[in-house]
Amino acid sequence: MDFGIIQLAPLAMVISMFALFILSGLRNSKRQTLEYGFGGSYTGRVGIGAGIASNWMSAASFLGLAGIFYLKGYFAMAYVVGWTGGYVLLLVLMATQIRRFGKYTTPDFVGFRYESEKARTLAALISIIIAVVYCVAQFRGIALLVGWLFGIAYIPAVVIGTSLLVSFVVVSGTLGTARNQKLQYFVLIITFILPLMLLTRKLGYFWILPQFGYGAAISELQQQFGFNWSEPFASTTLFEWFALCFTLMFGTAGLPHVLSRFYMVPGIRDARWGVVWGLFFIALIYWSAPAYGVLARLFEARNGIASNVGTADAADMIVLSAASLGGLPIWAVGLLAAGGMSAAFSTTAGLLMTGSASFSYDIYPRLIRPNASESDKIYAAKGFFLVLAAIVMLLALRPWGMIAEIAAFAFAIAGNTIFPAFLLGIWWPRANATGVICGMLTGLVISFLPLFTGNLFPFILQIFPLTSSAFVGAPLVMTVMIAVSLATAPPSSTIGLFLRKNVHDCTESS
Amino acid sequence: MEEKCINREPSFFRPLGVTMRGEVRVIRIILSGWLLAIVGFQLFAYLLEVSYSELLLEDLVFFNLPIQFWLSGQFLPLWFIILCILFNVWMDRNTVQSTEGSLRFRIKPASGEDE
Repeated sequence: MDFGIIQLAPLAMVISMFALFILSGLRNSKRQTLEYGFGGSYTGRVGIGAGIASNWMSAASFLGLAGIFYLKGYFAMAYVVGWTGGYVLLLVLMATQIRRFGKYTTPDFVGFRYESEKARTLAALISIIIAVVYCVAQFRGIALLVGWLFGIAYIPAVVIGTSLLVSFVVVSGTLGTARNQKLQYFVLIITFILPLMLLTRKLGYFWILPQFGYGAAISELQQQFGFNWSEPFASTTLFEWFALCFTLMFGTAGLPHVLSRFYMVPGIRDARWGVVWGLFFIALIYWSAPAYGVLARLFEARNGIASNVGTADAADMIVLSAASLGGLPIWAVGLLAAGGMSAAFSTTAGLLMTGSASFSYDIYPRLIRPNASESDKIYAAKGFFLVLAAIVMLLALRPWGMIAEIAAFAFAIAGNTIFPAFLLGIWWPRANATGVICGMLTGLVISFLPLFTGNLFPFILQIFPLTSSAFVGAPLVMTVMIAVSLATAPPSSTIGLFLRKNVHDCTESS
Repeated sequence: MEEKCINREPSFFRPLGVTMRGEVRVIRIILSGWLLAIVGFQLFAYLLEVSYSELLLEDLVFFNLPIQFWLSGQFLPLWFIILCILFNVWMDRNTVQSTEGSLRFRIKPASGEDE
């Protein structure tokens, strides 16, 4: 990749894409409020699915997954399986039931189900922590792309990227644009798959379905360059693979911004079928992402670059590098840059706004200013948005891993805290407020333990790896929740009746 | 005659009522298929690697891809989509049946035949 040079054509493509989204958002701003389910119409199940996929698609999917695949080979399949398999858990155990609760945010749900303001505030705090960690991954992606586009180093790129993001949110907010999620998803998928088709076509592989075509590159790497793909667990253990995979699944079923999709869909059936379409749209990216990692390895091998060379920064930009090394025209590389930037920007903007709303409605009026008016809350939300952006920017200056790894840490936190709270809240009526508070606090400790004590006690890193702690952590948190709930007073009969009548509809013939 | 199970606590391991029992049964089936595929395919790849020292994994190619790549990277996401479709189809059928059942229950007393 060329640093030190401003990439004019890709920069123009990035600017054009954002202009397209803003114009489309302006045109559809009225229609969009209906799509969210607050009005009387919606765009159908495919539209809901595209919304789920567009909401999901971040720098971790667009840039990070291929990077992990490039560096760690088969181990990266744990991300593919984890990030898709989590939707099965979400659909069968939660989507329908969450919709029946009729609450609009994660703190709302926790506060209502556990009849506790403390549990609600804790859930809001955890949602903000998850948003911050997830945003650090996105900021890393934004900074790497900005660095490449403007030819500057990583640290100034983080600052410029943050300024651009805040400006984008301010401009969108001032103009009142609504996100056209369907358009955004279809632009993202085209910007990701079209360059891949061009690459495989150039190599003479089966380019119509490059998701299968890249298999020829694996054979070539193996036969001509001795690159070994046939030992999937050579550099990792089965436990590490499963720990990461299940952590990502639990996290998917516990991420607040993923769960929120089900509160906003008009009907239960639409919510369920929307998940299927969403999963299909997400799988289209995940079927393709490994190909970029493999093709980059092939181009490097052909150019005589040793297979063990590869830094985290280079790996996170491997999607662009593969296109560049493969000799694609600059507009195709620009398409990838524009897609990656768009994925990272939309996810970050959404998460920061959700985090600031969580602060202004769940924490500010409860802990800081009990008599806050509506306009106070709006000012608090705006102020906290800037505070959150500054915190994320500072953390992104020294990121602790690759894009996908940082995102996986956010999934681990969600898997250790929100996932057990929702799962037991829905399926075990005896779970109470004390139980969920103890459980979520235990989950936080488990999530951050490897970060702070991993160097002192290596066995902690083995049992609770930073990116994969929910595999052991989530069952442990559920055990704590069950033990504490059984040892303390049961929840009120009102919530028990609500669960029986409204959530599980346990009508019994006699 | 129907009654609400208001005095007992339902849970995933002790579902109550026709609707919940049916729903939990299908959730268990779907989750079994989900878990078996995830764990089974990795154990399969691991055992082949350990037992045959990578030789077999080099030769087993499916749809142009090494077998472990195809199973985890291509088939499992597809399998998850299939599981989700099966679940939704069952839920839709179940919803229609329970709606029809509750309609019959409401219509009968109105006709006066049962009274």
